[in-house]
Amino acid sequence: MTASPPAGIRSFPSSVGRVFSVFFQQGRRARRTRFFWLFSFLPVAVSLVIKFNQIFSERPGREGVYLFSNLIMLFYLQMIILITALFFGTSVCLEEIEGKTLPYLLTRPVAKAAVVVGKYAAYTVIMIGMVSVGLVLSFLFLNLNHLSDPSLYGLLGRYLGVLILGLIAYGAFFTFLGSAFKRAIFIGLLFSFGWENVIQYFPGSSQRLAIAHYLKSFLPTAAPGGRFSFLTFRLEPTAPRLALLVLFGLTAVFLTLACVLFSKKEYVLED
Amino acid sequence: MTPVIVTCGLSKWYGNVLGLSDVSLEIEPGITGLLGPNGAGKSTLLKLITGQLRPSLGTVRILNQNVRNNPSLFHRIGFCPEHDSFYEEMTGWIFLTSLLSLQGFSAQEVRARAEEALGIVELWADKDRLIRAYSRGMRQRLKVAQAIAHDPEVIILDEPLSGLDPLGKRKLIRLIKTYREEGKTVLVSSHVLPEIEALTKTIILIHQGKVFAQGDIHSIRDLIETHPHMVSIRCAEPRGLAVQLLEKECVLKVHFGPDGRSLLVETNNRDQFFTTLLARIVQSRMEVDEITSPDDNLQAVFDYLVGK
Repeated sequence: MTASPPAGIRSFPSSVGRVFSVFFQQGRRARRTRFFWLFSFLPVAVSLVIKFNQIFSERPGREGVYLFSNLIMLFYLQMIILITALFFGTSVCLEEIEGKTLPYLLTRPVAKAAVVVGKYAAYTVIMIGMVSVGLVLSFLFLNLNHLSDPSLYGLLGRYLGVLILGLIAYGAFFTFLGSAFKRAIFIGLLFSFGWENVIQYFPGSSQRLAIAHYLKSFLPTAAPGGRFSFLTFRLEPTAPRLALLVLFGLTAVFLTLACVLFSKKEYVLED
Repeated sequence: MTPVIVTCGLSKWYGNVLGLSDVSLEIEPGITGLLGPNGAGKSTLLKLITGQLRPSLGTVRILNQNVRNNPSLFHRIGFCPEHDSFYEEMTGWIFLTSLLSLQGFSAQEVRARAEEALGIVELWADKDRLIRAYSRGMRQRLKVAQAIAHDPEVIILDEPLSGLDPLGKRKLIRLIKTYREEGKTVLVSSHVLPEIEALTKTIILIHQGKVFAQGDIHSIRDLIETHPHMVSIRCAEPRGLAVQLLEKECVLKVHFGPDGRSLLVETNNRDQFFTTLLARIVQSRMEVDEITSPDDNLQAVFDYLVGK
């Protein structure tokens, strides 16, 4: 073999791209991804049950958009994106430490921060793919009778956008947790089903301390008295532009913290 | 020769636990064996050398460059970790091509290098099997493959021979020796003396985080002036020779072999003893079949140095 120094080795974006490519391929095939495909299809199964029930009981039931907004978004916003982002986000750093595969990455001509950003990007794309497919299928099943209505697709785009933003922001936060703590999953569960699910319902400005608040600020305003009020209960929405800025700002902050920690911290691989 | 790996006053603490203490080394091209029992600090030293750990004190330079926060240097360094850990859901081929693509090679070059490395470690036929289905020996060979696939100038192997069968060990030893002939620098750690002996005469003895000795096995042996040295002599008249040798101050003890044709002499001054022995042989025109130093091996030196 002869050595030929590869070009662009010092380039950070090129390193991120290489890490992304490797872990996107690896992540797609991982058993965890197969499990989360099934998990993200739970709402699809629920949608199918509802639709079959409507068809075979010959009762019109609620409108598809209403069911989608109330039931499916509840599934996705309150559970699926949180759990998916928790397991994929924390694994960015933790799987290398717990699996003791870290030396393979640390002894490559790739900056440690590029490892974090590249893996985060790869796992976020995989998560978005999984959640989007489930969401679109659920939407289509529930609105089977109104598929020719173009306004529905605008709504679908909006919901999809909220979930993607959620995965990006939560993913970054959990990536940070994974780089900082050994028990990141436990802390993440406390955060997801403790902090996020409680603080968002507080009145006043304290609800702005939850990521969920900014996500819900993009949701359509609830019909008065509708059951959609479950999701927007006591919501005092932030302006969409500001919400978007906050979500991207939080993503940047948490990713930067994860990169700094991963670069500076010494991970001792235990026998 | 210019040293390739230089450590200066290298120390590492894990909290209150001392991992490595004041290690200063200069490692030149060729094969250097890092020898010590489990927990001696070998892996800590290798991790410090490859920048995976930050030294508490001291510096490390490889190829005249700092290692920490210098990822581009890893184009020239190959590292085989000690842990038997992999991305288990990958095949051998994907594992190797993935790591090669992280090195920055083009897709074509990645394939060519992966093919070559898998061929060298004789894993080509199993390249499409999942790593979790590999035997321990195959996994060990795959670890070595990822360390050599990008053709580095410096190869650092942490316990590369563990888990290999005797034939596998022999093949890997032969492979590592080819890198010496190519002028590369290879640092190999092991706690098994015969493995290191089979690889090199240049050793670093490490124990309890400290370097006890460094250099050629014979030079190290010479450092131990007070340590008795054993010399075995096979000749026609061992008893006559024993009488002559026992007159000398440098000879401490003489033992006769069960075959009646050999004697084992214990001396506290090897150089003086050999001068005397050769003079006696020449004077008395004695026929000598063999002169060997049964303890002129790493085990003797190591046991002595660590106080066993």
